[in-house]
Amino acid sequence: MPPRSLLRSTSFRLVVWYAAVFGASVAILLSFVYWITLTTVDQQINDSVEREMAVLIEIYGSRGLESTERAIQRRLADLGSPRRYILLLDASGKRLGGNLSAMPPIEGWTVMEVPREASDQPSRGEEMTALGRRLANGEFLLVGENRYRAEKAQDAIILAFGWGIAITVLLALGGGALLAVGFLRRIEEINRTSRAIMAGNLSDRVPTRGGGDEMDRLAVNLNAMLDRNQALMESLKRVSDDIAHDLRTPLSRLRQRLEVARATVATPEEYGVVMDQAMAEVDAILETFAAVLRIAQIEAGTRRASFSDVNLEAIVSTVAETYAPVAEDGGHLLHATISRPAMVYGDRELIIQMAANLLENSIRHCSPGAMIAVTLTGEAGAPVLCVSDTGPGIPAAERENVFRRFYRLEASRTTPGNGLGLALVKAVARLHGAAVELSDNHPGLRVTVRFRSTGNAS
Amino acid sequence: MKVLLIEDDTDTSRFVAEGLRERGHVVDASADGRDGLFLALEAGYDVIVMDRMLPRIDGLAIVKTVRAAGIKAPVLILTTLGGVNDRVEGLEAGADDYLVKPFAFAELLARVNALARRPPMAAEETLLRVGDLEMNRLKRTVTRAGRRIELQLQEFKLLEFLMRNAGQIVTRTMLLENVWEFNFDPRTSVVETHISRLRAKVDRGFDRELIRTVRGSGYCLSASP
Repeated sequence: MPPRSLLRSTSFRLVVWYAAVFGASVAILLSFVYWITLTTVDQQINDSVEREMAVLIEIYGSRGLESTERAIQRRLADLGSPRRYILLLDASGKRLGGNLSAMPPIEGWTVMEVPREASDQPSRGEEMTALGRRLANGEFLLVGENRYRAEKAQDAIILAFGWGIAITVLLALGGGALLAVGFLRRIEEINRTSRAIMAGNLSDRVPTRGGGDEMDRLAVNLNAMLDRNQALMESLKRVSDDIAHDLRTPLSRLRQRLEVARATVATPEEYGVVMDQAMAEVDAILETFAAVLRIAQIEAGTRRASFSDVNLEAIVSTVAETYAPVAEDGGHLLHATISRPAMVYGDRELIIQMAANLLENSIRHCSPGAMIAVTLTGEAGAPVLCVSDTGPGIPAAERENVFRRFYRLEASRTTPGNGLGLALVKAVARLHGAAVELSDNHPGLRVTVRFRSTGNAS
Repeated sequence: MKVLLIEDDTDTSRFVAEGLRERGHVVDASADGRDGLFLALEAGYDVIVMDRMLPRIDGLAIVKTVRAAGIKAPVLILTTLGGVNDRVEGLEAGADDYLVKPFAFAELLARVNALARRPPMAAEETLLRVGDLEMNRLKRTVTRAGRRIELQLQEFKLLEFLMRNAGQIVTRTMLLENVWEFNFDPRTSVVETHISRLRAKVDRGFDRELIRTVRGSGYCLSASP
């Protein structure tokens, strides 16, 4: 995975956004913690200063200035470390006691720098919170406490802050990169498959993992689309092969005929005859061409989009009525038995053509005097159309072949036809999910088309 | 008759336009969809003949636009060989008939004539009359010169179509499509067989033949010889 494509991937960009949002949330949260902590620490320092002040004022009030000075000395000595600062000035501003040097008296709360001589670490520039009070006889008392505690808390929070944000962003980016790499790998699989297909390996497919996630579903859908396209292309290829093989013959024949005519025909009447013949042949070729394309179109399955409920019984009886006189003129007897109403979900036009093709097949291939029977029955709720005749039939070994395009039995080479009739029947049946079966009618041929019942057909 | 022809293939266009002009029709030919649509909307035509696939504006879009503009002129769509779905789409878009290329000129002429003279609301008429031949569509009865003629269902449908198009040539393909719903060419003589049976019932025993075969084109039912 080149890093450049990782950085440009959509998922990575998304992850960066997430990291930013997470980082911002952590920052807000820590700011809140910072604020609460500092307020609490400040409050503790103030309380402690106030308590000290109260104790000293109490001593001053009850026992006088001298005792207060001693108390200050004692308390500072007890504390040991100079966290606590006390200063006592007389009314004129002269220092009386405490661990600070004289300074101008400031009453009330202040935050001030710890004077150099009182500081443990003068270089650090420590601060203290101080409270100044004027006493009864004009003396001034200042009590202060080092803000060391507050600063320590502040430092700790800022440190936590930095680490927290750094870790959040790193985790988000790292996790995102992993996610993006996984995602990109699957995209790359799809790209590789596309390239393979473009390079001519039409049967290549996107690997699936069976996890059922979005990428898997995408892969499955892409594969289904590729299968479909491949089927269409194969069908197209078969069509061009068929055309190449089977239309060349009639076209060459036509050309020869025209060539001979050009050399031998002399009168306009003779030309007329040749022209008529040539046109008839061109028409036959065009018709074959149309039939091939029609079969290809049916096999492509695009007509499924226009399926509707079709009354099979009405179609079969109409087609049988249509062909009864034709069969009669050919010396046959056509009899239709429709025992039940039947609906199928399908293409009306194609089912008509299928029924017509089956009847024409019997009419054309039987020698005069044949019995042709059309029956529509039901088996297990699914309609079954059966066309049987007492004609020559089809040998068992040939029964599968006759469904192939342009395939013609030796025996029927002389009868007119293009060898596409049963291929079309098969294509229409397959489009409708119906099974076509050829069997022996003893004597003759029996063609059975088993439809799926309405509702099950897709 | 004033015909608008929208066809981008020059050979087909010339073949159709010259054929129609020879028979006395006025033909405006356009080779692209936009000009064709403009003409269809501006000038009144009796029939519009157009290709399904046209440059700039597609044939189906033209039909839809023309119909949306309230123009009722019948439209005949020319489709390419094998484009079976084109027909359904064309008729759904508002076209009246279709013809698959390549076609015989006689076929196109018969269809254009049938479209141009199609009387409005003909489908609702109960009584059809051609000369002494009468058909009652509701009672499903046919008489000729007052004599009852018994017809099978399919013969009745065939005669009905011929009577609706009386005086005009109807081709074999038109009959197959309209009477039998066959959108393919059968390999047996379905039309010929039924016509001959119908003729035997309608014309046998009468001096004047109503159903005539027009060589190279089709059939014509007419009271005048």
